[in-house]
Amino acid sequence: MRIAIDILIACSVFFAFAGVVGMLRMPDSFCRMQSSTNVATFGVLGVVIGGFLYALTVLHDTSMAVKIAVLGVFYIVTNPIAGHAIAKAAYRHGVRPEKEMTVDKYGEDLEQND
Amino acid sequence: MNELVFFAICFVVLALTLLYRLIKGPSVVDRAVSADSIDILADMALILFALYSGRGIYLDIALVTAVLGFIGSVLVSRYLEGRL
Repeated sequence: MRIAIDILIACSVFFAFAGVVGMLRMPDSFCRMQSSTNVATFGVLGVVIGGFLYALTVLHDTSMAVKIAVLGVFYIVTNPIAGHAIAKAAYRHGVRPEKEMTVDKYGEDLEQND
Repeated sequence: MNELVFFAICFVVLALTLLYRLIKGPSVVDRAVSADSIDILADMALILFALYSGRGIYLDIALVTAVLGFIGSVLVSRYLEGRL
């Protein structure tokens, strides 16, 4: 059981590392936003599942397990909302991808509404 | 039991690496996104340290910082849209 928990947390560290490298090296803001979701989904999921199992099986502490589960559910629910809000705000603030866009449906919608 | 602290140190090092993007980031959006990611990585380190020390109080701190990070990023995005 300890080995399984360690493998889960190590996978989580690997995905968080990949997300951080992407955030440091990607060329423009939207690419960096995309790799920051790598930190927020898989980086969280491994630690939450591994910590839940560790608190239940090794520590025998149910309250800690419930708190970790609540934290994981909160992250899974709120991260898409925050990502969507940030991406929309970036577009309206004037941030554009590095290459010229071929399809820009959101910009067309904004022009029609204005 | 020591490996939990090792993984927590890995997360803290990753969070400190992201400070580069927080300082240099060309636009406001990069800074907001990297601050949110630093918050998440610090929360993961707090969870692992709570499991290492066996105290539940660190999980409460992690929960509060998670809520504050979500509210902060949504607030920044509303402000950038100009609808605050």
